[in-house]
Amino acid sequence: MIDSAPTATATVPAVALMGIWKRFPGVVANAGTHLTVSTGTIHAVLGENGAGKSTLMNVLAGVYRPDEGEVRVHGRPCRFRNPADALDAGIGMVHQEFRLVPSFTVAENVVLGAAPPLLRRTAFEAEVASTAARFGLAIEPDRLVWQLSMGERQRVEILKALWRDARILILDEPTAVLTPAEADELGGVLRRMADDGRSVIFISHKLHEVTDFCDEATVLRGGETVAASLTVADTDSAQLAGLMVGASPAVTERPPPRDPDAPLLEVSGLSALGDRGNKALRAADITVRSGEIVGVAGVAGNGQRELAEVIVGFRPATAGSVVIDGTDLTGATPRQRFRAGLGYVPEDRLGVGLAPRLSVVDNAVLRVYSDYRRGPFLAADRARAYCQDLVKRFAVRTGALTDPVAGLSGGNLQRLLVGRELDHHPRVVVAAQPTRGLDVQGVKAIQDLLVAERNAGAAVLMISEDLDELLMLADRLLVMQGGRISAEFDPVTSSRQDIGVAMVGHRSDAEGRL
Amino acid sequence: MRRPVLVRRDEALRGGQPLAFAIGLAAALFIGVLLLLGAGHDPATVYQRMFEASLGNPDAWSVTLNRAVPLGLAGLAVAIAGSMGLWNIGAEGQILAGAMMAAWVARVGDGWPGPIIIVAMLAAGAVGGGLLAAGPALARSSIGVNEIITTLMLNEVALRLVQWLIHGPWKDPDSFNFPLAPMLPDQARLPVLFGRAHAGVILAGLVIAVFGLAVSRSVWGYELRVAGSSEATARYAGISLSRKIFTVLVLSGAVAGFAGAIELSGTADRITETISNGFGFAGIIVAALALMRPGGVAAVALLFGAVQIGGQSIQTLGVSSSVSTILQAFILFGAIGAGVFSQYRIRLVPGRRSVLEESVG
Repeated sequence: MIDSAPTATATVPAVALMGIWKRFPGVVANAGTHLTVSTGTIHAVLGENGAGKSTLMNVLAGVYRPDEGEVRVHGRPCRFRNPADALDAGIGMVHQEFRLVPSFTVAENVVLGAAPPLLRRTAFEAEVASTAARFGLAIEPDRLVWQLSMGERQRVEILKALWRDARILILDEPTAVLTPAEADELGGVLRRMADDGRSVIFISHKLHEVTDFCDEATVLRGGETVAASLTVADTDSAQLAGLMVGASPAVTERPPPRDPDAPLLEVSGLSALGDRGNKALRAADITVRSGEIVGVAGVAGNGQRELAEVIVGFRPATAGSVVIDGTDLTGATPRQRFRAGLGYVPEDRLGVGLAPRLSVVDNAVLRVYSDYRRGPFLAADRARAYCQDLVKRFAVRTGALTDPVAGLSGGNLQRLLVGRELDHHPRVVVAAQPTRGLDVQGVKAIQDLLVAERNAGAAVLMISEDLDELLMLADRLLVMQGGRISAEFDPVTSSRQDIGVAMVGHRSDAEGRL
Repeated sequence: MRRPVLVRRDEALRGGQPLAFAIGLAAALFIGVLLLLGAGHDPATVYQRMFEASLGNPDAWSVTLNRAVPLGLAGLAVAIAGSMGLWNIGAEGQILAGAMMAAWVARVGDGWPGPIIIVAMLAAGAVGGGLLAAGPALARSSIGVNEIITTLMLNEVALRLVQWLIHGPWKDPDSFNFPLAPMLPDQARLPVLFGRAHAGVILAGLVIAVFGLAVSRSVWGYELRVAGSSEATARYAGISLSRKIFTVLVLSGAVAGFAGAIELSGTADRITETISNGFGFAGIIVAALALMRPGGVAAVALLFGAVQIGGQSIQTLGVSSSVSTILQAFILFGAIGAGVFSQYRIRLVPGRRSVLEESVG
């Protein structure tokens, strides 16, 4: 318990994570990561997607056990076996997905699992209200959670942690679901908590929030700590952006340039709504020619996902057009687009690109199964033969071809998926985060496949949060920010710093906050 | 301290299913012994009677097979919808609807030659079940109304319709004012195969085989399975989801309705409000135990039927119906539920329970 810990003095940090390693099959999420958080501060943990932020926080919150490394809370070494252990040690986490009971009231959700022995509604509602008021959380304790906005639900999650007297509060990308005004309000709440002697760990990849709210920042990249406990006031956002995207020496391995021929993918004035009805994509113009890879960089959530989905026909366009190889396919179905020569490597492999419960064979013919018709039946022998061939050519390591595809490792899943999309030599390839989460070998294999396709004359639109990858592979680099294509760079001559600044947008630019 | 946890196997244990079946059955029978001793019965006598009444001789088999028919068809109905990730909780009502339509055909077609009237009844049964499912199917496929709620609620509607018919328009004038529909004419009865087994056994077997094949081998079934695995993947593959949802739910209802027609024509004398006898709900259990695979439904339904028939028979030995029901539940759970465990292994890990760790690691 906290009380028995050495009193939190300035010298003993609230949290010290030392040399944390966490490996998942095919992925190293944390490679000796370290993090030190002082008591009474708001500490930002910055990094791109896949940098290992969430895994590290889940280690601290007792969700994962580290493979190696030490967790110290107020100077005491801790080995959390589950989130309840971490909570006992005063660590609360607000996850990206809220864990609330929609049909319960705010107060009921707050006390759930930590309720006083006698449930007197009015009493605990009043207590919850006073806790909320103390930290400036505007919330009515008797409202039902399903009626609340996302911002209000987040306040309930924060209240849950405060109710359990969390001295250390972790917020995993808390502003992703908030409007700018709500985000500012959250900043105020966090400051009150810090002033109360609590420590706040704020995970984000939005730089302006870090500079607005936070005292210190630790930057992660590729599972490692690249900068620890920087004082935010002394650091400018361009510097942070540079640390986030990395400043490794110039790329040596560059595919030989090739003269682009005819435009194969022409996107003009394309706009679309996001999942929450927001204007996620705003009048994007992109042309990709034969034999070129156009990279799309940007911080997650700036319209890249929506861009890919509109091009492949998953999301309706509200304006603009998509022309593939001279044919206007703006209103076409995903299958029509595939038939017209559009290959798609979706970001969500098992949720969109593959049917996890189905066999390797069934997944291999997912796009072309109607070619394997024999009367009313699927010609199992031909499908199997094709699958065997595909698996062999793209070096997919599988068990039995009739086993569910979900049993494959991440790298092999992606080889199967990319192989299937490229096997029919599409004219245009849209690849969203094609190497995310793969090990080094897997990354190389997928990159080689995409480059080979480019060299064979395809137009490749590659959306990635890995700037190194884009700089290495792309012939041209576009940056998306706030739903727009905000800048174009030549990957050979541009500085990483400039690209990083373009990705983050200018702080004074109001658009950048949306 | 070390504690045991269940960990999912990467590959199913070879030969694990039959082994688990045997162990589960043995364990259930052993618990049954304790139960029967506690209730003051001789376990040996009871088990012998159960076996003889359900599987001991051809006559017993015929009764068991007849029972397996509605269980299997209802299970198939649920499994067809289930292989696409849909829940048809309305098989009970769809069986009633099928029986109603078949009974109507039998009334209208009184005097038609036997084969024609039977074929017409069976077809009408399928139409009846399909019609009852069409509303929920349309609501689900067009505006996404949860099919669990709508199919469940229509059970009550179908039941009230039957009650109205047998209290009103279809009441037999010779029934001394009892709310009974008239007996079916002889030519509307399914022919008998052996013992009491009727031709519905073959028909049900055929329907299950056809759907089993369709789901596992046909292009149609492939699309179904893709959609059941992930809706987004189905859209990506170019499968039209709303049409698929509609046809699958209607077909599911039609299969249940077909079961209602077979029950009416094969085992019942007349349409009654109890003709569906809980088969529609038992079908959910059958389908779940068969892991939503139409192919597995027949085997589960046969075992289910045998346990039901055996369990009912021991009531003549003075075993109360509740003890009999508990025993049936144990056997079903032990024999089939144990199969699930063959997909797991036991591992000893240090420390206390940590659910998340297991599901992630």
